[in-house]
Amino acid sequence: MALPPASAPARAATPIAPTADATGAAKIPSLAQVVEPSPGALLRRRIRGHWGLIIGGGVLLFIIAVALFAPWLAPHDPLDQDLTNRVVLPIWYDEGTWVHPLGTDQFGRDYLSRLIYGSRISLLIGFAAMLISLLIGTTLGVAAGYFGGRVDMAVNFIITTRLSLPVVLVALAVVSLIGNSLWIVICVLGLLLWDRFAVVMRSTTQQVRNLDYIAAAQATGCSTLRILLSEIMPNIANHLIVVATLEMAHAILLEAALSFLGLGVQPPAPSWGLMIAEAKGYMFFDPWLIGIPGTALFALVMAINLLGDGVRDVTAPEGRN
Amino acid sequence: MIGRFLRGLPVAAVALAVTAGAAWAGKSNDTLVWVTDREATIADPYYNNTRELVVIGQTAWDMLLFRDLDTGEFKPLLATSYEWIDNLTLEFELRDDVVFHNGKKFGADDVVYTINYVSNKDNGVLTFKNVSWMKSAEKLGDYKVRINLHKPFPAALAYLSNALAIMPAGHYDSAPKLADGTRNYGAIPPVGTGPYEIVEVKKGEAIVMKRNENYFKGGPKGTPAIGNLVFRTIKEMNTQIAELLTGGIDWMWDVPKDQAEKMQGQAQVVNAPTMRISYIQFDVNGKSGQDFFTKKKVREAFAHAVNRAAIAKHLVGGASVVAHSACHPVQFGCTQDVPQWKYDPELAKAKLAEAGYPDGFEFDLYAYRQREYTEAVIGDLAKVGMRANLKYMQYRALRDLVWKNQTPVNHMTWGSNSIPDVSAITSHFFSGGRDDFAKDPAVIKALETADNSTDPAERKRNYKEALARISGELYWLPMFTYAKYYVFSNELDFTPTPDEIPRFYTAKWK
Amino acid sequence: MLIFALKRLGIAILVAITVSMVTFSLIHLSGDPAMALAGESATQEDIENIRRVYGFDRPIVVQYGAWLGGVLTGDLGYSHYLATDVSTVIFDRLPTTMTLGACALLFALVLSIPLGVLAAMRPNTMIDRLALSIAVVGQALPSFWFALILIFWFGIVWRLLPITGTESWLNYVMPSVALGYYVTPGVMRLTRAGMLEVLSSDYIRTARAKGLRPMSVMFKHALRNAIIPVVSLAAVQFGFMLGGSIVIETIFAINGIGFLAWESIQRGDLAMMQAIVLVLACFYIMLTFLADMLNAFLDPRIRVG
Repeated sequence: MALPPASAPARAATPIAPTADATGAAKIPSLAQVVEPSPGALLRRRIRGHWGLIIGGGVLLFIIAVALFAPWLAPHDPLDQDLTNRVVLPIWYDEGTWVHPLGTDQFGRDYLSRLIYGSRISLLIGFAAMLISLLIGTTLGVAAGYFGGRVDMAVNFIITTRLSLPVVLVALAVVSLIGNSLWIVICVLGLLLWDRFAVVMRSTTQQVRNLDYIAAAQATGCSTLRILLSEIMPNIANHLIVVATLEMAHAILLEAALSFLGLGVQPPAPSWGLMIAEAKGYMFFDPWLIGIPGTALFALVMAINLLGDGVRDVTAPEGRN
Repeated sequence: MIGRFLRGLPVAAVALAVTAGAAWAGKSNDTLVWVTDREATIADPYYNNTRELVVIGQTAWDMLLFRDLDTGEFKPLLATSYEWIDNLTLEFELRDDVVFHNGKKFGADDVVYTINYVSNKDNGVLTFKNVSWMKSAEKLGDYKVRINLHKPFPAALAYLSNALAIMPAGHYDSAPKLADGTRNYGAIPPVGTGPYEIVEVKKGEAIVMKRNENYFKGGPKGTPAIGNLVFRTIKEMNTQIAELLTGGIDWMWDVPKDQAEKMQGQAQVVNAPTMRISYIQFDVNGKSGQDFFTKKKVREAFAHAVNRAAIAKHLVGGASVVAHSACHPVQFGCTQDVPQWKYDPELAKAKLAEAGYPDGFEFDLYAYRQREYTEAVIGDLAKVGMRANLKYMQYRALRDLVWKNQTPVNHMTWGSNSIPDVSAITSHFFSGGRDDFAKDPAVIKALETADNSTDPAERKRNYKEALARISGELYWLPMFTYAKYYVFSNELDFTPTPDEIPRFYTAKWK
Repeated sequence: MLIFALKRLGIAILVAITVSMVTFSLIHLSGDPAMALAGESATQEDIENIRRVYGFDRPIVVQYGAWLGGVLTGDLGYSHYLATDVSTVIFDRLPTTMTLGACALLFALVLSIPLGVLAAMRPNTMIDRLALSIAVVGQALPSFWFALILIFWFGIVWRLLPITGTESWLNYVMPSVALGYYVTPGVMRLTRAGMLEVLSSDYIRTARAKGLRPMSVMFKHALRNAIIPVVSLAAVQFGFMLGGSIVIETIFAINGIGFLAWESIQRGDLAMMQAIVLVLACFYIMLTFLADMLNAFLDPRIRVG
């Protein structure tokens, strides 16, 4: 009875069952035949089979590569304006030209170059803002869920306060006071997006806290920090990943919304969110101006979500000890 | 409080159950729906400082005089004639056939009450500058009044015809007092003498006006043709466009050039000049901490680097022109016969190098309005090495910074409240006040002479001297005049005017 | 339960006060209220006069104290921009935003919970992939772009729906979809994730082994537990929607609280902003309170502690 080949997906693993040999007597499989593949091999197998993860990861890697190699890939300077060459149509229209394959924007700047350089800003914003909000929100949420009592009350207070403050007011005040550099926008986003982390981590931690193995760990005298890191965190990691991908996408999209209100990254920076917001006025007449960065943003957000889903799936409960 | 909330809830629920109503704009309803992106707040021209209320102020109210835009002369409106007794006293004879919207007859008492009320600082009129030049008013007869000024004020007639809406006597007395000492002026129904009367004010949503059937005949405003006017607020430009194209609204303005031009054919598109100008102000005394612009050569480089004509033509509109002096070309006293700076990027780079910045430098540029114009400026500057960080913010936040001298360069605009006189702009910015970064004694003196003289020739001479110095020293780089795109229904016969006060009372259906 | 509720109430009041103080400071920090009232072409003297007449020259603490005193006696203040009592305006517009938020949430829940359950029942099949695709697509567009796309097709090209205003229920369709779709994927995926975990857990296996009908297993046992994080998320999302309604209300010219808040922030209308934030704070507190109660009811483990 051969072991299933290594490349087959885990769930299609052929069950190992005793079979009869030529003599008709039952044949017990030997130990060597029963060993399962290692967790690492299992993981790799799962990854290869999960097309969502592969597509998402692939697109994200592609966008990261574009961001890294932007100076070599972009045909023009993304900030180079030419008021006599405004809103040149992209190549798929009759009037398009290969000098500007994706056309030019309302200032005559090459759209392809802006798109390429814009990947840097959108990726940076999404990732950095998500990290900040993850750190803040998870710390608060897990603390509230694990310790309960006063800590929970305090965290509830902080969360409700944060939720009651209008994002727009905070953004506007910050902009009026300090201005809008890229890092200010990132910090504002990070400081405003941690609430979901906190809320979800808190409720899942609460669910997990009362399970047996936590009590066991406490009984054996494990330090709180150790319990938090090695017992609680792995159990809520799934939810964390789901929320992290949601929030990264959220940060990228929120930057577009802030740009719509005039509070986001400042021009002439080619952030995709800002490009969309500035092209909004052309939507009915030159829809490609908003469609091109919109599609790029869409692809990025979709890739992040697929990746998140995929990671969650391949580290699913059945695979975890 | 709670009662009102519960009352509102069933209304919303009922609205959900009822099916869609028909559009209510257009010739068929004899209703002109006009839209801007700002809210209709209080329907009173003294306690509201938005452009919308300047427009409604002229539509529902009358002033003593009416400025004819073509000839520049002041025609009688509520007054039949005026006379300067001396340079501190004005006397008017009034019409005797005018009736307020509430039926009360108009007379000297109303003018006296209005002027005395609004010129009193303690009444907290928001557009105070428009009325602060008046000291008091006296009744000389049933249809004769005298106005006393604080000091000689040559622009008096311009302000009178623009901003002094006449209220019925006792109009504000019934406003309830509030806890903080001010009054609730919103509680008083608006009453005027104008061609349209305000019938409904939905705070923040709409102001509904109806034709005044008893409007006096033979005045310079003519006789109103359209039966109903509705002012609505739609913030998002795309939505305004969508509504215009589907017949939900009839008139809009401030449409960006690219979108306006695409609507040709489906609607009437007109680019008309306004009295607003765009300018760059330099921190010439270095108080902001970034002292690049204390050097004249750097300011000159800036002037040579920016292609103002291209911005005016491609971004603003056909009716926009490059401005060379710190005033609007149609204002009394304004002249373009001043030092002018050519667009020449190579010269800009050369002058920068001369000033000690061959590789350019980085600085902060502040702005608050039409970000795309400032973006274009930044783009031009970048080509010669001047790398600007855009600090785009709310007007009130920026004005605060300007007054604290914290802006090395700011790109701002000024509309002069549509007052057609240089004193409304140049004197504001160069008479040594908080908006004056230069504080040049020669300029201050010339302006003071011109502001207080009643001799037009002397005024023009002194204004020219001041303007020449301002442009020569580049305290300001005047940019261009604003032009607005008006887009309105094909059924409407309407002509925009350069003072940005649409005359709906002369509009009619085709 | 009572102690739980009282504790929450205490936090609530503290939150309301904190938020109002922060808002007050933020508005003052983001510009001069007197200058905002006086308008663009005001001179220095005008502004100082306004400052004096309208009481902006008092120390900030005094101004805040006056406002707080007013609130405690039921007076939310007066807006000098709209020239009416703040409470009149807010309570006129609040039902509109509430309706919009409720419709949006309803749209989201009706779409996403069944999708999430379906996806969890048939994990890694085409149905699962389809559900996930719907979720992912819906989440990846900026809301204002999506709203404008809806306006373009349903308003201009096909002329099926009215674009602005709130005259009838039809006016609420596009805004609700534009506002609610963003919440859909989050709820769907969380439902799916929760259901998947719960479905493979011991007590579900036990229930199945006991011979309970699959539907009963699904809804009475599995969904009840999986829904817990979803309840929290839905509460947070409703709150988010009240905030996110600014963009939607602006685009569809709906006169709700969101649009009012944006305009008030821009104008520096202190009294209005304070009141709006206070009212919204009360709503969030109520929402999280209800969510907590609901969670505690559904999962007794949470009640203890």
